[in-house]
Formats: sequence, structure tokens, C-alpha cells
Amino acid sequence: MNEVIHELSFEEVAKKYPDFPRTVIRKIDTSLRGVILTEKALEGAKEEGAFYDVSHDLGRETHKPVLGEVFFRDGTYLLGLNCEESRLKGKPYFLDLIDGKLWLLDGENLLEEVYFAPVPAFFRKKTSRGTPMIKVISSKVPNRISINIFTYCQFFREKLPCKYCSYMANGSFSRRKDEIHTPESLEDIYETVNEILEEEGKWTNINLISGSDPRGMHQSGAYRGNSPYENEVNEYIKVLKTLQRCFATQRIPAVNRNGSPSHQTVQGSLPVNAIASAFPREQQLRLKEAGLAVYISNIEVWDKKLFEWICPGKAKYFGRQYWIDSILSAVEIFGRGNVSTQLVAGAELAEPYGFKEMDEALASNLEGVEFFARNGVYTTFCILWVDRGSVFYREKQKLPPLEYYVKLAQGINKIRKKYNLNASYSGYRGDGFHLDMDLARLAP
Amino acid sequence: MFKLPKEVVDLINDPESIKIVATADEKGNPHCAVKDFFTLLEDGNLAFAEEFEGSQTNVNLVRAIWFAKNVELTVRGKDGTTYQIKGKPYKYFYTGPLFEKFYLAAREKWGPDSELAGVWVITPEEVKNETYEVRKKEEDKKHPFFRHLDRSSVRRTKIQNSKSEISN
Ligand code: SF4
Repeated sequence: MNEVIHELSFEEVAKKYPDFPRTVIRKIDTSLRGVILTEKALEGAKEEGAFYDVSHDLGRETHKPVLGEVFFRDGTYLLGLNCEESRLKGKPYFLDLIDGKLWLLDGENLLEEVYFAPVPAFFRKKTSRGTPMIKVISSKVPNRISINIFTYCQFFREKLPCKYCSYMANGSFSRRKDEIHTPESLEDIYETVNEILEEEGKWTNINLISGSDPRGMHQSGAYRGNSPYENEVNEYIKVLKTLQRCFATQRIPAVNRNGSPSHQTVQGSLPVNAIASAFPREQQLRLKEAGLAVYISNIEVWDKKLFEWICPGKAKYFGRQYWIDSILSAVEIFGRGNVSTQLVAGAELAEPYGFKEMDEALASNLEGVEFFARNGVYTTFCILWVDRGSVFYREKQKLPPLEYYVKLAQGINKIRKKYNLNASYSGYRGDGFHLDMDLARLAP
Repeated sequence: MFKLPKEVVDLINDPESIKIVATADEKGNPHCAVKDFFTLLEDGNLAFAEEFEGSQTNVNLVRAIWFAKNVELTVRGKDGTTYQIKGKPYKYFYTGPLFEKFYLAAREKWGPDSELAGVWVITPEEVKNETYEVRKKEEDKKHPFFRHLDRSSVRRTKIQNSKSEISN
């Protein structure tokens, strides 16, 4: 942020916004300040089955612990764990075990009792080909199964990554030898998903995730072919077809592209969301026909100039208006309520071109949220992380004030109510990144 | 922590007793729901299963845990013994061993297509015996002039022919 302002502390924010849940304010603060586990807390995690050392699966010599997430008492995710490679704000919080209970501390002060969730059993299993299942399913949280479509982003290769993104620097869990799926890696997915569904009561949705690849299959070298992003869609379809074998959804009568009934049938919706690039209509139709239920394509930054500066890859392939049109076109295909987009809130305040005033930045974001809502698209937002491997990390960008996120969550929540939209597939249980979804818990 | 009397604990653990959870929405409108899975935990807290994430009870409980509001649980046994327990939501689990226990019990009872959103843990703060006979005694003592005078405990004798006099 450019301006020098007095940033309100947690208590000051909580006092100023008494109708905003303290737990959610605390969660934002844990993301901004980070959380460090004491040795005792780490021991507690081991005792409760909430700790797994993944070093062996990744072929690493040094320990690489994975925690089974930490929750506030109400089930809200605590953020800011694994913060060693992030730029933070102020002093980090601590997690410590006191009288047998896990506590969040600020210095010496006991703040909140929290609890561990155990790691799922599949962490310790392998597929019949010997692939550790933890490499097949990239999500480490309860409820959500995340599958990497491919493990690269073409924008990084062209030195045009989104400036806050560290996707190619991190994500080592799911790196594969082959960048795109092979019959063997698809079989690994099939086996892993089937195996983990044996863990009853654990999972509620599947996310397909990937970097961007704007190349069209038949247009090598000339990205703006008849159907850009076809490479990416082909990979999604391979995985969707694999997942069709795992779920009891029926095939349903197809509709021709002009809307008339067809003699053919297509796959009914699978419980699957894709966090995808901006696909043209014909590619979205292919995904729908393969059973995709929810399409999430992230605009990241609403302001036109800042979008071009912060997301140069998206701006090149093929610009903000193309991304917006693609998101709106998806509503016709997947239906109102089944399409959403996301803002990386705080990126729009980055120096030197970002907004100078918080209120200006908020107004811009809420303008975008309202525009999408009017068109049947829900906008979530996540808190900016400045992680090693991102351009923002190198530039030493700062995180926004705590109050900024409270105001933004309130604003988005108001728009959500006004347009009666929800995005429960990105709900508070899925990963905890979307603060507006925490507030949506009060919507019956 | 406040400790529930044994009689209340037995009633909670009796699968045949009726259990009702009462909560309030943001305007104070009450909402009651019958709950099937209820148990007393080792630490003295009560746990019950919530079937649906979007139910009014669940939404009200989220508000209650966020803004420190009370909820009330009513337990009524086959013989009419009834207790009301006032408390505060303490934790909500949708993962972990306690959740799994309730989830499997729900599967057992309602079959393989059953749903369970989470498990609420309530810290009891107050308990009140609401059994009719007990409450009657209390009220008689507290408000003797609210009693109807024709009650057998108030009148010495009953007029035998009063009904026929009226009908004539
Ligand atoms: S956020 Fe941008 S750079 Fe990062 S993976 Fe997605 S498209 Fe690529």
C-alpha cells in the first residue's frame, strides 16, 4: 500500500465492526501475520494423527511435514500455517498445547482454543502402480478432493505469470514426470478417488485445478486458433471421463448447439468444479457434456489497467474483455449459481500502480462483484499471499490492512444477499480461503 | 464446568427419550427441532448431530457461537420426566473422530444415502426440571394465588350434584 495510515489492530477492528464475527476477523489476521507451531503443538498434532511427513513420498531427504489443518471452535479454518516462505505483517501468532488443549496465542496471551483435524488415511497409501496417493490428490484439507490437471502454467514459461502467483515454485506434491495426463496417471486418479471414497463422511466436492495453457490443439505456435485453450480443456475432459467411472450419475438427453433436442445422451453432472482459464463457448460445451457441474474462472483483478499490469499472461491471452465474456458465456451453459470468479484481494493495492486509497480499491472491487452478480456470476475473494516464487515477493510488496478485508467481505456479502447468489462449492469447509463464504454460513 | 445430574445424563443417553433443540434467529424468532443423535461427552459437554448445513437450527447455532448466544435443549423421557438444559455452543465438527462416530451412526439408522452436516458440542450452563409434577409443586409454592380453587388439593370436598343443577 502506498499511503501511510494507522492500521487498526485486531481489537480495534473487532470493536469497530461488532456485527462481524470475531473468529473470522481472527482468521484474516492469522493469514496476514502467520502462525508458528511450538514443539509441543507439533507433538500434539502427531498424537492426534494430524501430522504426516511427506518427505519419503517426494523423495526428499529433509523432513516435509504436512498438517491436517487447524480449525477455530466453530469450524472456521485457521490460516497462516506454513508461513515460512511468505511475507507477513507484524509478529506471527503461535499454536501451543496448554493443559492438553490446543490454543492460539499472541505472545503470552491465550486467545482462542482451536483443534486439529487428522490427516486422511489415503496419505499413507499407494496406487497399484506404486504412486503415493498424496501425489495424485493435491488437496490436503478435509472435504475437498483437488486434482491437478497439469502441473505447469504456460504464462510462467513466457515470463508472464500473475504477479502474486507462486504456482510453479510451489505445488511440488503433485509434480508429475509427464506434464499432461497419460493412461497410467488417469488410472492412478481412478484408483485414488475410489480408494479415498472408502473413507466415509470425509469428502463433499472435487476441484480440478491447473495453470493456464492458451494453446489450441491444432494451432501449434499460433495461440489464437479457432479454439484457444483447447490443450487445457482436453486435459480436463480426460480427467472428467475418468471420474465418470467413479460416480453414479446418469447419462441425460443431449441438446443440440441450437437448443433443439438431440438423439444422443451426455454425461449428467458430476460433483466436480473446475478452476479453469477463460474458455471459449465451444470448449465450455465440451466440458458440460463431459459432466462438469461448476465452472470457476478467475478474473483476479477487476480494474482494467491493474488487470493488465498484474495478470500479463491473462491480458495477452486474450485480454480482460475476453475473460469477462467467457465467464458470462459460462452462465448460459452451466446455469446461474454454477459459475463463479475470484478476486485476489489486496493485489490491487500493490505498488507502484495500485490504488492509493483503500476506499478506491474497495469501490473498484465491489463494482466488479456487482457487475458479475447482475449477470448470475458469484465473486469470491481470497486474501493476498506474498509467497516466495512470486513477482510480488521479489518486489517486497506489502499486505493490506486487516480492516480492508473486513470491509470487502461485508460488501460482497451484501451483494450476495441482494442477488440471492451462493457458491457453496467454494464454501467455508472447502479450503477456508473465501471469507465471504464464512459469512454465508448465516444464510439458511 | 457445570455438571449435569445423573438423572439428566440417563435421560440423554436413553435412545427412546425425545430431544429438542431450541435456537433463535437474528430477530429473536424461536426455532425448535427434534434431534436423534445426542450424547454426553467425557468432558461434561453435550454433543448432537446436525443433519443439514443449511437448516435453520444450524444457521442459528453458527450465529450463537459467533455472538455468544444461548441455546436450549429439552429432553423428555417415556414417563414424562422432562429437563431443560441451557447452554452455549462450544464447538462444531465436520471432520475428525467425533464427527465420524455420529456419521456412521446416522448411516446405520438412515441407510447409505443419509446425510450429516456436522456435530455441535454444547456446554451446559443451567438445568431445570420441567416435569409436570415437579413444576406444579414449584408453582403452587411460588404463586399460590394462580391456582384454580377447584383443584382437589385446594378444596376440601366436592359438591356431588353441581352438574345436574346447571343442566336443570
Ligand atoms: S494465477 Fe496466473 S500465473 Fe498463476 S497459475 Fe493461474 S494463470 Fe498461471
